[in-house]
Amino acid sequence: MGSYLIRRIARTLLVMLGISLLVFVFVRSIPGDPATAMLGERATPQAVKNLRTQLGLDKPWFFNPTNPLDAQYPKYVSALAKGDLGSGIKSNIPVRDELGSRFPATAELSLAALFFALVIGLPAGILAALRRNSVWDNLATTISLVGVSMPVFWLGLLLSYFFAVKLGWLPPSARLGNESTLQPITGFYVLDGILRGSPADAWDALRHLILPAIALGSIPLAIIARITRSSLLDVLGQDYVRTARAKGLSQRSITLKHALRNALLPVVTVIGLQAGALLGGAVLTETIFSWPGIGSWVYEAISQRDYPIIQGGVIFAALVVSVTNLLVDLSYATLDPRIQYR
Amino acid sequence: MTAVSPTAPQQKKQPSIFSRRFRRSTPGKVGAAIVAVFVLLALLAPILKPYDASSDRNYRLNLKPPSVAALWDKDVAEEYRDPVTGQVNPWSHLFGTDNLGRDVLTRVWHGTAISLKVGVVSTVLALVIGTLVGVLAGYFGGWFDSVTGYLSDVMLAFPSILLAIGFASIFSADNPPLLVSAINSLFVLNSPQLVTAMLAVSLVQIPVYMRLSRAVVLGLREREFVQASGALGATQIRTVFKHVLPNSLSPLIVQGALSIATATIEVAALGFLGIGAQPPLPEWGTMISDSRQYYVDSPWTMIFPGLAIFLTVLGFNLLGDGLRDVLDPRSTQ
Repeated sequence: MGSYLIRRIARTLLVMLGISLLVFVFVRSIPGDPATAMLGERATPQAVKNLRTQLGLDKPWFFNPTNPLDAQYPKYVSALAKGDLGSGIKSNIPVRDELGSRFPATAELSLAALFFALVIGLPAGILAALRRNSVWDNLATTISLVGVSMPVFWLGLLLSYFFAVKLGWLPPSARLGNESTLQPITGFYVLDGILRGSPADAWDALRHLILPAIALGSIPLAIIARITRSSLLDVLGQDYVRTARAKGLSQRSITLKHALRNALLPVVTVIGLQAGALLGGAVLTETIFSWPGIGSWVYEAISQRDYPIIQGGVIFAALVVSVTNLLVDLSYATLDPRIQYR
Repeated sequence: MTAVSPTAPQQKKQPSIFSRRFRRSTPGKVGAAIVAVFVLLALLAPILKPYDASSDRNYRLNLKPPSVAALWDKDVAEEYRDPVTGQVNPWSHLFGTDNLGRDVLTRVWHGTAISLKVGVVSTVLALVIGTLVGVLAGYFGGWFDSVTGYLSDVMLAFPSILLAIGFASIFSADNPPLLVSAINSLFVLNSPQLVTAMLAVSLVQIPVYMRLSRAVVLGLREREFVQASGALGATQIRTVFKHVLPNSLSPLIVQGALSIATATIEVAALGFLGIGAQPPLPEWGTMISDSRQYYVDSPWTMIFPGLAIFLTVLGFNLLGDGLRDVLDPRSTQ
């Protein structure tokens, strides 16, 4: 386990280095000069030159013959290692601070979406596998097919149109109502409302959360339902399930104690893989529902060509995905004791 | 003559297994039908209803609801009444009109060709490049395998839409690189930004094919027929392209159909974020993006383009499922 853990973490770090290199090259390949972008089109050439020197943009990219470490990439990586992602061009707020203040919004939305996906997807998949070729099976298969085929941004607009505009049941945007005076503690507003002892605020936050969470959770729901169904069907066909049935166990006991636990391994893998999909989907969902998280922030940064923010947001997303994958890999041993890491 | 006849049905058997299995697969049939309808629509659009997006304007009829509503709704009928003749044609704008008075039906119809071309081309590019790299990595192993494996690890760590955004923002639209302009004119897309978005989506899919084809080849490499080919003196290149590659195509074709669906959604998503196709091009994602300011009062500007994306994607997903039933029966439950 020990040496596997070290190798697996080393691999994650190596991938992170590759990510930083890729993002570094990307940002420097985007047309337009950051110094000109910061100062505006009418800046004097001298001012642009000074700012370029100040930002270190006059240095070579990877290697400086006179002083090997005095180049852009080594400096950039060492800053990254310290957690320094630079500052937004327009706002001049450090990217790290803004990431920190926006992360709870995205995390709350993503967790709510995942919760929604699990609460519907898991039972749907199980039911479909147990009652194979029944109405329930067809329904679950249809739901998962519709879920993967539905563009998230269109679903978001449809939900917003029917439930917010037409029926007026739920708010169309933001995280809280205008007159809310909730003081955040954790940044998870539903939780904050409860912690502050204010059910009204928690309810308000929850109502704002529902539509974006459904939109964002639609694809994970579909995938979870599909994988649960096929994985459980696979396990239910195994010899040991037949043995369990032969020795007279009830179907309920077979399903819950023997089959489900073994069937969940691929489901956990897939849930882990959804981290990336959720963060990617957050760009679209947050934009539609004016959700003040990382996704809508990165989207605004793209339209304003604010490179430090794009760079920081993308690196952060890739970090989250890599770490989630690592955790998923390590969780296998707990779920399936037969798996030994060497 | 008599010696030939036993072999003739043998040769005919191969395609008939495919079609027989495919005909038994309901998702496959439905998917194929949906895709066929959209392909037909795309082919017929320029013949039945020539359209020039750049000159299409009608300010008298902007943001009007679907015209069929004129049959039962007097207000709608009033809006569609021709000021000269006093006639109402309830079939004139079946999907309503957008903010510039453009017929949504016409635009959705003409968007079909764009989305199909973009989805298919980006998938084929990813499939060819990814498979080639993956097959070579799987067959030869060694440092090439390590390097490409590492590269695909790095690329798969990005949420695909963010990676696509990154790729798409590299190229300047005013001065597109040769590759972009070449693809642009080759497939008559008339939009360098759309080509850039398409390449971005394609690039994001490459590691998927690298992994898939590598895994398939690893399984094939030790099989007797591959070793026999080497024993008979075939060069490694010949072995790869004559024996390994043709036998690894089934899962790749299945994945191909499914990734046309993904590519269609992702290119539309980029259009929605303002990175892909630019107005006035009738690309579905861009149309939904345009409608964001108006959909509260005029939902039809958003509903119909979205429905078109949904149906196309559904069609390719069903087709992929059907192909899996046929080509890879062991993986289906």
